[in-house]
Amino acid sequence: MGTTQILFWFLTALALLGAIMVLVSKNPVHSVLWLIVVFFAISGHYILLNAQFLAIVNLIVYAGAIMVLFLFVIMLMNLNAETEPQKSIWMKFFGVATGGLLLSFFISFIVSSIDLKNKTAQLKEGDVGLIKNLGKVLFSDYVIPFEIASILFLSAMVGAVVIGKKD
Amino acid sequence: MDSLQLQALLPFIVLASASVVIILLIAARQSHTVIQITGFLMMCLVVLAMWYVRDVLPRAIMPLLVVDGMAAVFTGLIVFCVLIIGLFSFIYFEEREENPKEYYILIFLGTLGAAVLTISRHFISVFIGLELLSISLYALIAYLRNRNNAVEAGMKYLVLAAMSSAFLLFGMALIYMDTGSMDFDGIAKQLQTQGHSPALFVTGIGLMMVAVCFKLALVPFHLWAADVYQGAPVPVTNFIATVSKIGVFAVLVRFAQAVQLQSYHFAVIIISFVAIVSMVGGNLLAIKQQNIKRLLAYSSIAHLGYLLVAFLPGNAAGIEAGMFYLFAYSITLLAAFGIVTMLSGRQADADQLEAYRGLYWRNPLMGAILTVALLSLAGIPLTAGFIGKFAVLNAGVQQQLWLPVIVLVITSVIGLYYYLRIISTLFAETQVIFPKEKSLHPLFVAGTYGALLVLLILLLGAGIFPSAVIDGIKNFLCQGFRIINF
Amino acid sequence: MILVWMIVILLIGGLLCWLTARANEHAAKWVALVTMLIDAALICGVCFTQRVSSINTWIVDIKTQWIPAYGIGFHLAMDGLSMVMLLLTFFLGTLAVLCSWNEIKQRTGFYYFNLLCTLAGIAGVFVAMDLFLFYFFWEVMLVPMYFLIAIWGDTNRRYAAYKFFIFTQAGGLLMLIAILSLYFIHAAQSGVYSYDYFDLLNTTLQPSAARWIMMGFLVAFVIKLPMVPLHNWLPDAHSEAPTAGSLILAGLLLKTGAYGIMRFVLPLFPQAAEAIAWWAMLLAVIGIVYGAMLAFAQTDIKRLIAYTSVSHMGFVLLGIFSFNAVAMQGVVMQMITHGISTGALFVLAGMLKERLHTRDIESMGGLWSSLPAMGAVGMLFTMASLGLPMLGNFIAEFLVLMGAFTANVPLTVIATFGLVFSAIYSLRFVQKVFLGPSTFQKPLPDFSAREFVMMAALSIAIVWLGVYPQPVLDMVQHAVQAVVTK
Repeated sequence: MGTTQILFWFLTALALLGAIMVLVSKNPVHSVLWLIVVFFAISGHYILLNAQFLAIVNLIVYAGAIMVLFLFVIMLMNLNAETEPQKSIWMKFFGVATGGLLLSFFISFIVSSIDLKNKTAQLKEGDVGLIKNLGKVLFSDYVIPFEIASILFLSAMVGAVVIGKKD
Repeated sequence: MDSLQLQALLPFIVLASASVVIILLIAARQSHTVIQITGFLMMCLVVLAMWYVRDVLPRAIMPLLVVDGMAAVFTGLIVFCVLIIGLFSFIYFEEREENPKEYYILIFLGTLGAAVLTISRHFISVFIGLELLSISLYALIAYLRNRNNAVEAGMKYLVLAAMSSAFLLFGMALIYMDTGSMDFDGIAKQLQTQGHSPALFVTGIGLMMVAVCFKLALVPFHLWAADVYQGAPVPVTNFIATVSKIGVFAVLVRFAQAVQLQSYHFAVIIISFVAIVSMVGGNLLAIKQQNIKRLLAYSSIAHLGYLLVAFLPGNAAGIEAGMFYLFAYSITLLAAFGIVTMLSGRQADADQLEAYRGLYWRNPLMGAILTVALLSLAGIPLTAGFIGKFAVLNAGVQQQLWLPVIVLVITSVIGLYYYLRIISTLFAETQVIFPKEKSLHPLFVAGTYGALLVLLILLLGAGIFPSAVIDGIKNFLCQGFRIINF
Repeated sequence: MILVWMIVILLIGGLLCWLTARANEHAAKWVALVTMLIDAALICGVCFTQRVSSINTWIVDIKTQWIPAYGIGFHLAMDGLSMVMLLLTFFLGTLAVLCSWNEIKQRTGFYYFNLLCTLAGIAGVFVAMDLFLFYFFWEVMLVPMYFLIAIWGDTNRRYAAYKFFIFTQAGGLLMLIAILSLYFIHAAQSGVYSYDYFDLLNTTLQPSAARWIMMGFLVAFVIKLPMVPLHNWLPDAHSEAPTAGSLILAGLLLKTGAYGIMRFVLPLFPQAAEAIAWWAMLLAVIGIVYGAMLAFAQTDIKRLIAYTSVSHMGFVLLGIFSFNAVAMQGVVMQMITHGISTGALFVLAGMLKERLHTRDIESMGGLWSSLPAMGAVGMLFTMASLGLPMLGNFIAEFLVLMGAFTANVPLTVIATFGLVFSAIYSLRFVQKVFLGPSTFQKPLPDFSAREFVMMAALSIAIVWLGVYPQPVLDMVQHAVQAVVTK
């Protein structure tokens, strides 16, 4: 077992632990902090896949910006266990049942699909994720979707202004 | 990318620049009227651009887009709808307190999203197009924030659309995992070499269908439809009912055509099931409605179910029938919502059925147009809706899809009941006096009436002489089928 | 071309009525009357100039393309049967205009528009030789009829109008599926996509397919006819409709069902029709007896007449499914004489309602003394309706029973008892309305000149058909022969 393998398993375990803790934590602020751990672990995976750009972006955008926003919102709304509306036991039961069914459905499908081995990503290989290659692809082959994506942001901005501005 | 490819994209570039022009005009503090007229002219420019580039088609812009005959038909329909909706929007927003200017930016951006969907041949462009459409819609639905249901409707749409996008992405990822390609043709090629229907592909399709059904408001995923239709401003409701559905259906057709979706047994079963429950559910839920916007929401669920019956055969006849149906459905809903827009007052939309009592005797033209539109929705001859329903039945019977066809027939009889209910309200006696004369610019009132008349002529014209429309669709599709082979 | 003109004149006349009524409410009546007279003159002209012979059964025949993409043609043709039906249509149509002269005081323009459109649809049904076109006209006559009942009907009009529309539309859509199936089977056999009647006649069908497709046609026609388990819409529609509406419903719309069976069901599916003949005759006989019994129990004058229609239409069904020339000629006679006699009774009921403001026969009585002329005419038509010799209905019912006797003795015997029942309800009707103690003290006006002309025309027609029916029998002989020899 090489270093990358050890790292991979470590990061995977960390990500799962973090995800479970997000759900289990009573305090929403703790949930958010555990979510940051999950993002860090996943960024580690990206680095293992040789996708440094993605890893950095993931950290900056998700672990950085979005999580800070989350924290702000939670603190502003002063969420805690008491104010949370209680759901009935049946709601919880159905939620678990449908979620569990969907999960088992996916797992059974993915396990049953053949030659899955060849389709798992190979660690340390591939160079699409490097900034230089990414930039080249983005501004040559994918220039139109890149432009459309910029318009997407325009749309989001205008929408935010419309909803948020004072009359 | 060469100049011809750029030329093929010209209509879309004009569409994108339209929204930028509007932003600049707002920055220059122009009035609503100026913005409205500019928007109208820009849409006309898009139509002109489409006319100008028609010889360049079909042209693929590898790897993401393809501009072909089918795209031209769908985009043309979308742009036509937006032209009309734009005209209706003026009188609707002019009366209201809120500043209507940003509305036009969002409408054009949403239109661009729908138009991108029609030319997509790759998951990336599908996703970007869909998000562009959805994000514009979030803001558009909640545009009139001060009214009761608007924010609720916007939130509902936001949460559910985000959820459905997640399903879409997961489905795409699974298909990518299976085939190693996000390109429709690439997926098709890979599936051919594999020679069986792999579990991952099946799951992926299933998840993507969730998202598509959500956007088309088909039955197990229709819960948002009535509330959003009711809460959104009328022109936006109109936009959701026509433009966003045309775009999503276009991408569904293109994907299905590439991978031969209808040759997979499971896909046919899923689509038949969705079609049947949509037809039954939509029509049954509509019966009790007293709110015309909610009623049209449920009726459009049923109509998308009918549309799926045309989609089921997966052959050229089915696609033609589907396109014609979509055309008929769009102009019908444009006309119906156009009337709702005209009748809406300063305080609230004219969505209660009571507001329509005796409309025919108060305003014969509007009453007649709404009657024709409702008859078209019910599929009565002399209207476009009849030929559309006929084409759908034609496609279904040809492939001997007896169950969906029989359900279609039975449910359209159920549907008749609530359309007739509105129609008899239109012709009922009225004592109530409706004090409402708008003091708007006569040019726009004339323009709106003109648009309504055009729609009326189209509704009747396509019902009596449908040959022109059918032949047009056929010609464009011939161009479209050529492109599949490269 | 003359057939096209007849339909077009009606439509143009309808539009003119609509437009002129905006300027002058009375002008619409005159326009409608002139339109009907022109059409009546046209069909009489054809009748006198053209001779039906065995070599030339189709007197007029025009055919052009309509929607070539689906193989739909615009094919109108007229043989003896169509000609007789057209004569009846324009005769009763003129009377319908006349009898609404004073009854309809509001919205006359729209009223006559609907009336003439219904008549245009009916005329189209009798001459359409393209199955798609037939379905088209079938629906065209439906919508304006719905408006006639729903707007100008009596208190319970909306319920009656819904019921009428939904029943007929359900049957119509089943027929549409049957037409489509036939079209595709024919196309698979011959490679020609065509809805033309004469092309489709050459289709050879599997017995099971023929059975299902025939059921589709038959259900649509027997709903209209109506046959007993499906007659439910008829009493409501007849009693709630305005007088002219009842006249057209009873006199013409019911006949389209019978015409459809004779023109389409028997020639297209001879074996399948033969297979179910016994059941059809059984239901016909049940209809005769059941209709007569219900008629006896009614107190509403229009409902009473409506149930006699159910009974009389049983004879039509019985005659059709006996498959011989004598019965078939009797069927055509029954269609005409029932149209005239029942139409006359409905007109009388309308006149009584105009004078007494009630339809309840319990509150009438002893009217003969105050309205002697009306009493005499009422007596004449009740006698016609119960099949008194010298009057048209006797010839018709006699021929039907004579023909049916060769096909099925026991059922025919029971049907003959139906005649006895009809005597009972007819006499009760006369007894309750015209004889007995007088309940109305104030003097009532007898026939006006307009009413006198109408009643005179109807009386002459019924007596003439009873004394000298040969011209009609000659006219339809070849058409009937063609149906039977199949």
